[in-house]
Formats: sequence, C-alpha cells, structure tokens
Amino acid sequence: MASFPDLTAAVAVGNRTDTVRLTQELLAAGTPPQAVVEAGLVPGMAIVGERFRRNEIFVPEMLIAARAMKEALKILEPLLIAAGIRPKYTAIIGTAQGDLHDIGKNLVAMMWRGANFQVIDLGTNVSADRYVAAAREHGAHLVGISALLTTTMPALKAAVQALKAAGLDGTRIVIGGAPVTQEFADEIGADGFAADAGSAVALARRLVGEAA
Amino acid sequence: MSVDTLRRELARRPLLGDGATGTQLQQLGLVPGSCGELWNATAPDRIRELHRRYLAAGSDLLTTNTFGGTTFALGQHGAAARARELNLAGARLAREVAGDAAWVLGDIGPFGGLLEPLGETPATDVTAAFTAQAAALLAGGADAILVETMSDPAELTLAVRAARSAGAALVFATCTFQKTPSGFRTMMGTGVAEGVAAALAAGVDVVGANCGTELTLDDYVKLTAELVAAAGGTPVMVQPNAGSPIRRDGRISYAESAAEFAAAAPRFLAAGARIVGGCCGSTPEHIAAMRAVVKG
Repeated sequence: MASFPDLTAAVAVGNRTDTVRLTQELLAAGTPPQAVVEAGLVPGMAIVGERFRRNEIFVPEMLIAARAMKEALKILEPLLIAAGIRPKYTAIIGTAQGDLHDIGKNLVAMMWRGANFQVIDLGTNVSADRYVAAAREHGAHLVGISALLTTTMPALKAAVQALKAAGLDGTRIVIGGAPVTQEFADEIGADGFAADAGSAVALARRLVGEAA
Repeated sequence: MSVDTLRRELARRPLLGDGATGTQLQQLGLVPGSCGELWNATAPDRIRELHRRYLAAGSDLLTTNTFGGTTFALGQHGAAARARELNLAGARLAREVAGDAAWVLGDIGPFGGLLEPLGETPATDVTAAFTAQAAALLAGGADAILVETMSDPAELTLAVRAARSAGAALVFATCTFQKTPSGFRTMMGTGVAEGVAAALAAGVDVVGANCGTELTLDDYVKLTAELVAAAGGTPVMVQPNAGSPIRRDGRISYAESAAEFAAAAPRFLAAGARIVGGCCGSTPEHIAAMRAVVKG
C-alpha cells in the first residue's frame, strides 16, 4: 500500500519509476491530488534541498530528483487544474541586469517549483523595470534575483529598490549568488538572502508564512 | 617561444602563470556585464595593456582574453557569429605581447550550460563549439590550450579532445572545486581523484585547479597536494582566487593580498605544483609577489 513517506523517499533519491508508480497508486486509492503534492512530493524536494545545502549531494542529484517530481506532476497537473487548484504562491525569478550566469538561478526555480510555488522565470539580464512589471502582473509573493559577478551586484540593489519603491507590499524580495552576502542583502533592503538553491527553499517558505 | 620550448621548460622548472583578466578589464573600463571578448576587436590596445602588465610582473604564460569565447557564451551577447574573429584576435594580441618572453595559453572556459542527459545541450554541439574555438586560438598563435574552470568531467573531456582534434600539441585542464563535508568537490560532485582521472584519460599534459568560491590559500595548499597525489607525475597547475570578494564602502576588494600570495607560493611548490598563477581578484601585484619564489 503506497504511503506518503514512500513517495517522499522516492523523490528524494530521484527514483523516477517509483515516484510515478507511487503517485498513481496513491491516486487510485482515492488520495486527493493536492495531498499527493503537498505531503508526498514537496517534502521529498525539501530533503533534497537540505542535503544540497549541506553539500551532501550535488547538482546532478538535484536535477534527477527534480525530474522525478516533474514526472509525477505531469500526472497530477491535469487533475489539479480540473479541480481548480493552483499553487498557493507565485514567485518571479531572474538574474541581475548584466548577468548571464543562470545555472544557479535555474536550480532555485526548480527547487521553488518543487516546493509547489508557481514560478515565472524571466531569464537572464533582467532590468529592474521588468521585475516590477512582472511582480505586479502576477501578484507575486516572492521575487528572487541572483548575481554571479561582483560587478552586477549594483544591479541587484537597483532592482530591490525599484521593487520597494513600487509599493508592492505583499511581495518579498530575496537575493543570492556567489558574491552575495547576508550583509549585502541587509544593506540594500532585501527581505532575505540564500547561499544556494537548497537554502532558497526554506527561505521562500518562511517568507510567505509557511512552516520552513 | 614555441610549444616545444614550453614543453622543455615545463620539464626543467616551475612556471609562473598570469592573474585575473576580468578584474583588469574592469579597471581598464569594461562596463559590468558586457562582453569582454569583444574588446579583442574593439579595444585591442587595452588587451595589449592587460598582457603587458602580466608580462612585466613576470608571467611565463599569458592567457588569452577568450574565457567566454565559445559560440554559446558569445551568443548570450549576440556575438556568436564573431567567435572565430574574436578568438583569433585574442590569441594574436597575446602572441604579439608575449614575443620571445612568454608563451600563450589559448583560454577555453565552460560553455555555460549543462550537457545532456542532465541538461539540454547535446555533446555534439558542445564539441563543435570547443573545436572551433581551439582551432581559432591555435591559428592566432597560441602555444597550448588551457581548458579551465571545469565542473563537469564530461565537459572537460569534450573540451580537451576538441583541442587535440583542432591540433593542439599541449593541453592543460583545470577544475573548480568547493569545500564539502566529503572533501573538495566540483558543483557537479566530482572529487579531485575523479576529476584528475578524467583529465588524464582525455589526454592532458597538465592538470590542476583554478578558482573556487570560499577557498582560502590554505585550502589551495591542501588541494595542490591532493591533485599531485592523483596526477601520477603529470604536472600540476594551480590558480587560486585572491580570496573572496569583500564590499566596503561600495568598493570591491579581495581578501588575499599580494603578500599572502607570496607566502603561499613556496607552499604550492613544496606540495608539488609546477605552474602557479592566480584567478579571480588577482592582479599583476599578486603575480609579481610570487615571481622570485616560482622563477628563482
């Protein structure tokens, strides 16, 4: 009999076959699709994020786990849409203006989707104006911006300040990237800083008010 | 100077690499986030100045300004069609400044994405890009090819083989590691022994490490020893950062000073390194500080 812990474990090790099978078994037993996501898949990705943060696993393991979850979501999404259930929180993500390094940003987007956020990825080299426009358009709860170059950190500051000036009270702003520090985040008024994709999940959940 | 003299000299004595390119280009006026490789065509005098500074500091090896020179990386700036032109120019400029006093390393950095099946980019496309880049660098006068800042042994293998197939007689490859509970690993989880083994299997003449967020010079001494132990006699090259960047009053500086590099250099050599240079944040001063120890 499939259980949530079984599904969580399958996602955490990136076992795509078991993840799909257990998802189907849970649904067949009458489990609501939303529960499968929240009690089965999301905790699995949370484990992955924590292991990555501790440098116990690396990029390949994260991607493989995300792929397993994505396969399960292919089955669940039509059911969720039919029931009118959408992710509770929306996040915008991108890299700072002038910065084209996106592997880290892509990992965070993946982890946030794994935490059942709807993620709108604006890509790389995104201007402050585009962040403001997107946050407004989508009613974003969260905006994440990354920079890999020290020279694009001023663009992080510009984006954070533009978002705050736009008066979007419900939007939290988080930043990250190799040269970024908590100190810099505090200095420019960001709501949070995450050192890696694993930490970014707990941070996102905390900022929108969920248990981390 | 030729690849033969480089090979001979490498067997005879330790060599001094050069330092950071990005840091110098920014000092010379490069707008943050713009394409440094374009300056090979639009601001060649500034690239000559970059190389002159390192030559004056004592570098035996001048690295071309082509780190982001694949069609993939240049494509992010809309300059993919200029790949051959920019790599050729980059090598020519370094060759011109190096003259008879130094050798030219044709620099190849990561293509910027992830290879299939983990990522989206087919190996054949990546091989084609690296081969074209290496060919242009060699045509411009590079003595050897340096494949650097590698995190994925599969990508490293493609780049090294591409350089060989383009005709490189000498190929160097360095990986970028971070500290983890299970030792030094690249972001893809590759350890030192695995990374070195992949490089040797691909056929490199020199193997090593460069860059690495939050690695101190002490870490790099330890890393050097591990690289040497894994390399089985193949010469080892290390290019540490000048520490992590620090922001103070809106200005960026790097934690490890030239004096710290000077103190670290004998430790790298004692651990068995044959080539020592610098990566992010390092300057001609850092290289000059190591000159006496490395070159004797």
